[in-house]
Amino acid sequence: MRRLPDAASRGKSITMDLEGETVPAIEGEPVACSLIAAGESVLARSIKYHRARGPYCFSGACSHCLMRVDGLPNVYTCRVPARQGMKLERQNAYPSAKVDVFEAIDWFFPKGLDHHEMFAGVPVAEQVMAKVARQLAGLGLLPTAPAPERLPVETVRTRVAVVGAGAAGLAAAQVLAAQNLPFLLLERDNVLGGRLLSGVPEADAPPPPAEGLLAPERVRTRVTVIGLFDDEEGRFLAAVNEGTGEPRLLRVYAERFLLAPGGHPPMLPFENNDLPGVYASHAASLLVRRYGVAPEVAALVGSGPELYALARLMTERGTKVAAVVDLKGPVPADAPAGAVQGSEPKAHGHNAVSGFSYQDASGRRVKVACDAVLVAVAPSPSFELARQGGAKVEYDEAREVFAVVADAEGRTEAADVYVAGDVRGARSAAQAAADGRRAAEALAQSLTRAAVGGKS
Amino acid sequence: MSKALVCSCEDVTVEDIRHAVAKGFRDVESVKRFTGFGTGVCQGKSCLSAVAALLAKEKAQKPEGIVPFTPRPPLYPTELSLLASLPVDESKPPVGGVPQELDTFPATLRPEGAVPTRARVVIVGGGVLGLALAYNLSLRGETDVVVLERGYLCAGASGRNGGGVRMQWGTAANIELAKRSIELMGRFARDLGINVWLRQGGYLFMAKTKAVAERLERNAALHNKHGVPTRMLTLDEARDVVPGLSLKDAQAVSYNPEDGVIFPWPFLWGYANACRKAGIKVETYTRVTGFELSGGLVRKVKTDRGDISCDTVVVATGAWSPEVAKLAGVSLPNEPHRHEILSTEPLKPFLGPLVSVLDSGLYFSQSMRGEIVGGMGDPLEPAGLNMGSTLRFVSRFARALTEQLPNLGHVKVLRQWAGCYDVTPDNSPILGRTPGLENLLQLSGFVGHGFMMAPAVAERMAQWMTTGASDELFTRFNLRRFHEGKLEREDMIIG
Repeated sequence: MRRLPDAASRGKSITMDLEGETVPAIEGEPVACSLIAAGESVLARSIKYHRARGPYCFSGACSHCLMRVDGLPNVYTCRVPARQGMKLERQNAYPSAKVDVFEAIDWFFPKGLDHHEMFAGVPVAEQVMAKVARQLAGLGLLPTAPAPERLPVETVRTRVAVVGAGAAGLAAAQVLAAQNLPFLLLERDNVLGGRLLSGVPEADAPPPPAEGLLAPERVRTRVTVIGLFDDEEGRFLAAVNEGTGEPRLLRVYAERFLLAPGGHPPMLPFENNDLPGVYASHAASLLVRRYGVAPEVAALVGSGPELYALARLMTERGTKVAAVVDLKGPVPADAPAGAVQGSEPKAHGHNAVSGFSYQDASGRRVKVACDAVLVAVAPSPSFELARQGGAKVEYDEAREVFAVVADAEGRTEAADVYVAGDVRGARSAAQAAADGRRAAEALAQSLTRAAVGGKS
Repeated sequence: MSKALVCSCEDVTVEDIRHAVAKGFRDVESVKRFTGFGTGVCQGKSCLSAVAALLAKEKAQKPEGIVPFTPRPPLYPTELSLLASLPVDESKPPVGGVPQELDTFPATLRPEGAVPTRARVVIVGGGVLGLALAYNLSLRGETDVVVLERGYLCAGASGRNGGGVRMQWGTAANIELAKRSIELMGRFARDLGINVWLRQGGYLFMAKTKAVAERLERNAALHNKHGVPTRMLTLDEARDVVPGLSLKDAQAVSYNPEDGVIFPWPFLWGYANACRKAGIKVETYTRVTGFELSGGLVRKVKTDRGDISCDTVVVATGAWSPEVAKLAGVSLPNEPHRHEILSTEPLKPFLGPLVSVLDSGLYFSQSMRGEIVGGMGDPLEPAGLNMGSTLRFVSRFARALTEQLPNLGHVKVLRQWAGCYDVTPDNSPILGRTPGLENLLQLSGFVGHGFMMAPAVAERMAQWMTTGASDELFTRFNLRRFHEGKLEREDMIIG
């Protein structure tokens, strides 16, 4: 990974402390982004086999980038903004993450380690194993100091709570605003727009949100929703608000919940899919579009239109695309030159990607040299909140994901829960926006009906 | 070394998923528990759909049977200190809970074909008690047994508890049972071929009021009489056992180094596997719909997969026991009470014992995997089969926990869930014959400690059932006692 030439102006240049070494960073950009741009690919060792890990998803949906940051364990460095002098330590490695003696576990157990049956009932060995396992278990070290007293919880009451300010959530919020319905839009990122800003570009996508699109009192950024709960006062979203300095717990009670949280970048199972240098397409597009960080040479693997769109984006931004391998096919006529249908992908390299191979249609293994493997597959809908709210979730066999069951207007099995966008299955940004509008209109109607019903 | 990862948080490979399927774990919830996928920092965000696709590809499950595991709050790891900032009105009972568990499972999850039409013994409930009993019956030559479980193995309290095992009890009966259970747990891997990771780091009980302190002291003397090495610790000694522990307001501390924690799930797999090897049928996703009674006996157990004629029926359905017994016209005095629990991010080992503040019902320990696992009872929790999670619980728990170990404030909660205690009026179990229905046997009412008692109770019950020799356990704890007013109060219940 390298920082593209036009990246210098994106923020103030600072330095961080990585286990005693000084590494350059850009203030405010995700720590992991600065680290990989500085050539630090190994950020951690994995929990069981001590495999080298670098950031994968850049959305807080895996665990590859967890580090000890300023004395706190298991911090998502893909989310936390870089600050001058930040102290970073790699976890679960001895003596260091680059040369970790416990990597031997990975080599000793090529077929995996069955902790259920290993040494089961073997006298002495069983006890020794239990002692060793306990010492090897766990990831971070206990924080050395107590947490500060937190700010008192903030409680907000509104008519509609909207989760996610991507294509679907933004479109929904605009409808609610036009209808003068009080609502609050909660976004985990520090900017509105989701994939409109940082996703793989789509030709028919709506434009990214203009400044002042929504009234500021209707929007909160850097708010991470952690659950849809209920109590004696009704149903509410619980969230952690980091948008106003010190983190603070927030409760949002609402009559309706419009959930458009999008999806999580999933792992695609293939050999060495966890090697530093393997990135989800979401991460690759975010890094190049927002932070100007990109690989020199990348191999792309996956399926669907996002695979090809990502290939175009990377080429445009100066990355040499060494392979585009479609695991489902057929390869569409307008695909970038060189795209092929293939199977059995595999990443190569020790501690970092140095190559990629796949089996082509004739059964031949083709290998290319590269410094990154980019994985483009449909996101896994973030159905958790909807399910907590009582919506039904089903397996979509064609898309190979779980999605929230909803009608065309986004109504779910729970009367006050509406869904739009990726959460109901992978869709284009344009479709997500249309989803958002329809859901917001139906939801607004249900509130009007409830008000009329209440009066009669 | 080349590996294809599915769940990178817990290093679960494609091979591990295939291995689980080959072992008979074919639904998402069971595969999650057996392989550990989805239990790490990301809680399934990056691996759940990949596992589902693998199960479909391997034909382990039809698409309709592929149901996601229950998503537990919080959606993202959340610091205990933030959760502790929520004020809770302790004068009002808790309301609600999310997400509610699936009450009915897709029919495709059910095993194909009908259940056997006849069995000498039908055990209703495939939790640890039912399975342990079936296993012990098989050891005594009785293998004409069917175990019926409405969901997957570990769906009930056996899969939801914190894994604490202790000999520190308030009655002689419980002390002796627990001693024997822990002994059996210590050789479980030898007997049943699966690791249960018993770690005897001790139990440290703290009392914050004089009354509870006196109870601890009285019980410690009783423990010693039964050969349990419980001792009262000075506050300095307590600090040595748990560095960093706040002993503010502590009036007394008792500690038994031989108590410990185990990993609950392998017990069910180990017992079920041994039962199946012995020819016992363990039928998951099979629901009991009624009983056929005549002449003061249960003649048949009716299920949604056919009826089973039988000689003896055992009700071992924990919090569901009143519901199941009612199908036979029997009224049990037990009530289900939700108990909430949570698990944090995995940390390197720093905490030896399970710590409990007996006054508030707070308990916490560090699992073999490094997570802090703990809970706390809510005195106003209403009776009912509610397995939803509340923000109120995490808040109360976070406050109580960080008060005892302040350095945990920055530690993040990964998931919270709930299970139901099976609570009896005197906190003691209901065992033995049912007055009026002689062949309906009760094995319930363990008030949140059935797991740790199961190996020993099942051993005694199997002996009692197969030999006919009298055992005071099944008279002392008989359902009859509630009519006769001979209650057997246990006062070392946590929560």
